[in-house]
Amino acid sequence: MADPRLDTLASVLCGYSLEVAAGDLVLVEGPILAQPLFVPLAREITRRGAHPVMRPKSEDVATAMLEWAGQEQLAYISPIDEWEMMVPDKFLDIWAESNTRRLNGVPAGNQAIRRAARRPLTERFFERLARGESRWCGVTLPTEAQAQDAGMAFADYERFVYGAGHLDDPDPIAAWREVSRRQARVAERLASVSTLRIVAADTDLTLDVSGRPWLNADGHQNFPDGEVFTSPHENATSGHIAFTFDCPYDGREAAGVRLWFEDGRVVREEADRGLEFLREMLDMDEGARRLGEVAFGLNPEIQRATGSIAFDEKIGGTCHVALGMAFPEAAGTNSSGLHWDMVCDLRSGGEVYGDGELLARDGQFQ
Amino acid sequence: MSDPRIERLARVVIGYSLSLKKGDLVLIQAPSLAEPLVVELVRAALDAGANPAVRFSLPGVDHAYLCEATEEHLRFLLPYAVDEMQALDARIAVHAASNTRELSEIEPAKLRSRQETNRPVMETYMQRSAAGELVWCVTAYPCTAFAQDAGMSLKQYEDFVFRAGWLHLADPVAAWKDFSKKLHEIVDRLKDVRELRVLAEDTDLTVGVAGRTWIAADGDRNFPDGEVFTGPEETRTRGEVAFSFPAIFGGREVDGVRLRFEDGRVVKSEASAGQSLLQEMLSVDDGASVLGEFAIGTNYNVDRYTKQILFDEKIGGTFHMAVGAGYPETGSTNTSALHWDMVCDLRSGGEIQADGEPIYRDGRFLPEFAPDLTPPAE
Repeated sequence: MADPRLDTLASVLCGYSLEVAAGDLVLVEGPILAQPLFVPLAREITRRGAHPVMRPKSEDVATAMLEWAGQEQLAYISPIDEWEMMVPDKFLDIWAESNTRRLNGVPAGNQAIRRAARRPLTERFFERLARGESRWCGVTLPTEAQAQDAGMAFADYERFVYGAGHLDDPDPIAAWREVSRRQARVAERLASVSTLRIVAADTDLTLDVSGRPWLNADGHQNFPDGEVFTSPHENATSGHIAFTFDCPYDGREAAGVRLWFEDGRVVREEADRGLEFLREMLDMDEGARRLGEVAFGLNPEIQRATGSIAFDEKIGGTCHVALGMAFPEAAGTNSSGLHWDMVCDLRSGGEVYGDGELLARDGQFQ
Repeated sequence: MSDPRIERLARVVIGYSLSLKKGDLVLIQAPSLAEPLVVELVRAALDAGANPAVRFSLPGVDHAYLCEATEEHLRFLLPYAVDEMQALDARIAVHAASNTRELSEIEPAKLRSRQETNRPVMETYMQRSAAGELVWCVTAYPCTAFAQDAGMSLKQYEDFVFRAGWLHLADPVAAWKDFSKKLHEIVDRLKDVRELRVLAEDTDLTVGVAGRTWIAADGDRNFPDGEVFTGPEETRTRGEVAFSFPAIFGGREVDGVRLRFEDGRVVKSEASAGQSLLQEMLSVDDGASVLGEFAIGTNYNVDRYTKQILFDEKIGGTFHMAVGAGYPETGSTNTSALHWDMVCDLRSGGEIQADGEPIYRDGRFLPEFAPDLTPPAE
């Protein structure tokens, strides 16, 4: 039985997030198990006069590729890969997993080879986005596996996800427009700041964000959404930060991660779990030890960590930083095959200072 | 526990059918439910040093699209669709479905428009295939929808499919190589024939095949396989043919198809059910009412009609022909967006004459004309 919330989700994604218009070429990628969302998306995209390019992927195939491919095959990029990243006008990624640990048997080195090889293409993809030649949105579709990671029943997890997306609102698009206005005020305040200091448990991190634009993540690039972010100056970050929540990345994870920065670079890293994986990723390339993003989560509907970065990074009252690839649209210049978001909770005593002035206490902006 | 025959199928397709080599770009297209086979194909392709790309389809998506699609949508071709067909070294299409009738309520005109739009891709595909630049294989993954159409349980149907590929044998590749030799002997005999006449119930059809190339379908382009085929001369087909089995297009059945040919073209078409679809398709374009293929099914492990053309056209003891696009490598010059196979049973009283001499009777080649094609024993 089709869930009517998926029809609503498809219409919000097309009508608000991506603003799908007649003639657009819209590429939708997601795992096979996202079939219940692919169908209303095909309908909605076509109704709008746009052309859907549906690209369901198999998690098992992806795993088999990483396990069985040789070095050359891991690094190979086909012309099809290239066209499908460079030609469409709009991109939608559906995030849904059948087993969030499916890649645990795969040598981490293989993932790194693959990412590094794809980096030039990824960069061109981001450049197209930054120039406004294309648009991209990632959407979470609830699955049992994600519910399990969140420690919730599937039905409760669905309510959590759809609640965070305001899909139960009589007019979800109007609700997102209001979110957008509220977040714009925070972004405006941050835009006047040069030196940002984040203080929390085991955390005292200073970043230079002078002249960097703060972007309002209001449901256009992620859905659900709720953060403001920028790319900090590449050589200026100093101090240390401890991440409160588990740090999943590409089907694997590290936990209890602590990082020490000097002149923008991670000079020391620790983790309670997954330290080897963390190091593997940090050593992927030169940019992987530098920050590509600093951000504040502002979605009040998301209050608990669920082991999914798409949600954890939006928890109202948290901040996060990402190692690796920066956002050109935020004037970031750091380049890497990595973009790994890690979240630090500010809700119990965390403080954010802008040029020495207190901007937020307990994660709440004044 | 996964079925070991799935892995065997994948290994035969990659190693025998396509002979993939290092660096080949192979596109695997499959419905999502064929995922277990696709995983094995990917592994086998990687082992061969090839670069697999995978494209799945999902139940309900095409239906949703076609329901909403306007003429403008249907005229739209993905900007890199032709380039992609140029870039591939190999292509695998896996046939399977969740519901073989998914598109049965879609207006035939929509399917026809889409088919027409796809024509440049189809032409590139056929040209590159004829030039030997692109190898391809169509295979099938046994699924419940096909089993249901065939009137079998899934388990029975799996046995049918895997036996048709001789995948129950310890060394299926050896069996296919042996079979291939026999088919090549038949092809050698047929190459000097100028005219074939097929006689069966309500059927008396003559096709000109002079100078055309016969091809032994020995498991390279279809798997399972088993037929010999050519592209008949475009202007010489004449007479009448009544197809024993329903012709199926896009999940719709057209029953009791009868065609009359004059000077190579269909001049009269009738069906006891599905007449409008038949006529719609025959008028897709100029080439759609001309034969692109004439073939004789030679896989005697495929012993019954199951409503899947991949198998039905191979039934040992049948012949089939396709209206629409021909394979250039056979010498056919017919082009069309259509290629629609229809099958006629010859097992009870059917006969084929080559330049006036009988060569085939009651579903078997005469022993003086061809080697015995009985499938290998267990």
